[in-house]
Amino acid sequence: MDYSRFVYAVQNNDTEELASLVSVITAVLIKFLKVRIGASHQDAEDSAQNTLMLVTEKIKDDKLNNPDSIIYYLFTTAKHDYLKTQAKIKEPTFDEVPESHSIEGDQLSSLLSEERMNILKVCLRQLKPDLKSYISYWFQNPGDETVVVADHFGISVSNAWTKKHRILKLLKECCEKKLKF
Amino acid sequence: MLRGKIIMKENKKDIRKQIDSYVKGLLSEEQINELWTEFAKDPTLLDDLELEISVKKLIEEGAIEVKNPIPTKTLQLHKWTWHAAAAVALVLVALIQLFQVDSRTELDQFLAKSIPPDQIETGDGIRATDIIVTTADSLLNLGFSALISGNTQQALSLYGEVIENFDVEPYGSKAYTNKGIVLYNDGDYSGSILAFDNALSRVQDSRMIEEKAYWYKGNALVNIGELEKARVAVFEAYALDGIFRKPAFLLLQKLNYDLGYVDYEDFESQRGN
Repeated sequence: MDYSRFVYAVQNNDTEELASLVSVITAVLIKFLKVRIGASHQDAEDSAQNTLMLVTEKIKDDKLNNPDSIIYYLFTTAKHDYLKTQAKIKEPTFDEVPESHSIEGDQLSSLLSEERMNILKVCLRQLKPDLKSYISYWFQNPGDETVVVADHFGISVSNAWTKKHRILKLLKECCEKKLKF
Repeated sequence: MLRGKIIMKENKKDIRKQIDSYVKGLLSEEQINELWTEFAKDPTLLDDLELEISVKKLIEEGAIEVKNPIPTKTLQLHKWTWHAAAAVALVLVALIQLFQVDSRTELDQFLAKSIPPDQIETGDGIRATDIIVTTADSLLNLGFSALISGNTQQALSLYGEVIENFDVEPYGSKAYTNKGIVLYNDGDYSGSILAFDNALSRVQDSRMIEEKAYWYKGNALVNIGELEKARVAVFEAYALDGIFRKPAFLLLQKLNYDLGYVDYEDFESQRGN
């Protein structure tokens, strides 16, 4: 994703180019808000739209044109917009003591889609037994260093990463094939 | 050209390793932010992330059966070896129990090391016809721009200008909150406490600013060792039930523990003391 193309499209009002770039940026912002802040899809969509409007105005006013600054500005503005909106709509309810002491981490599971998971399950089951065993070990022992995984399977660390990547690539291709039909 | 391709390939390999660590929950906040910058540059990486999360979840749920695990070499040991190993284990357990130190958490672990720029208050984007309001709005936005460009002195001067010339709500409390954030990040905790107090004495109809000011004031107070006062400020942030409720609750628990207030339920009656 070349953000200088985005700047150029805004400055030259290239609507066709803008439409395609905006949809890509919007998708990234929505995922960012869902994963990093735990926003609902609808709220994330609203904040992503507001953010893009603000960024577009900034670029038009020539206040923002560096691609790296744009990425930073997009994320901080999206987060800011979301938190502001939430603070406005949330009423105080100080009537309960939280049961959990833990801080919630990133909501990575919000990226999951049931349809894709079902397809992936089929693809995982179709893997050759040794590959199935390998990828299972990899994710069942998340605390292990790659060197431990490599040692367990009697391969080098570099080959351990390559093997994992190859399995994920196979799964990705399998899912894409099944999604087409 | 070829060198460029090799660098790109290596870079992609590194990012894949980062994604792996992200899924396993092994990245720091800073590393996560850096990774999201990479996602913004190459959104197809988000597909890789999604795939890894899905595979991990399915494996954790036991969606696939591994019938033929890789055979591992087994060694036949003499019977006496097991007895010796058991004896060593027993000695180790005894030694660990003897020298075990109560592993308590540190207060620092519950504090904001620095306040991220997205906590900075900016103009509302709603322009009124009054020229004073428009100028104050713009000054706040300019302060934000200066801050994200790394120019903290300019940001402080812009917020100072708002305080001096447009000390009406919501601008006064916003400018003081921002000043408090900048000073906190500079390590001037006493200055930031003063700024947050000023924000709190002005704020009207903004729970967001109120909560933010109480929460970071509490953090600053802990940093200068004023734990009793910090406890009161953090409680106020917690009671506002907003985005800082959870971290405020944790810090409050830790402060109560360190200060010897075991009866958490009775906190409200104690906080005036």
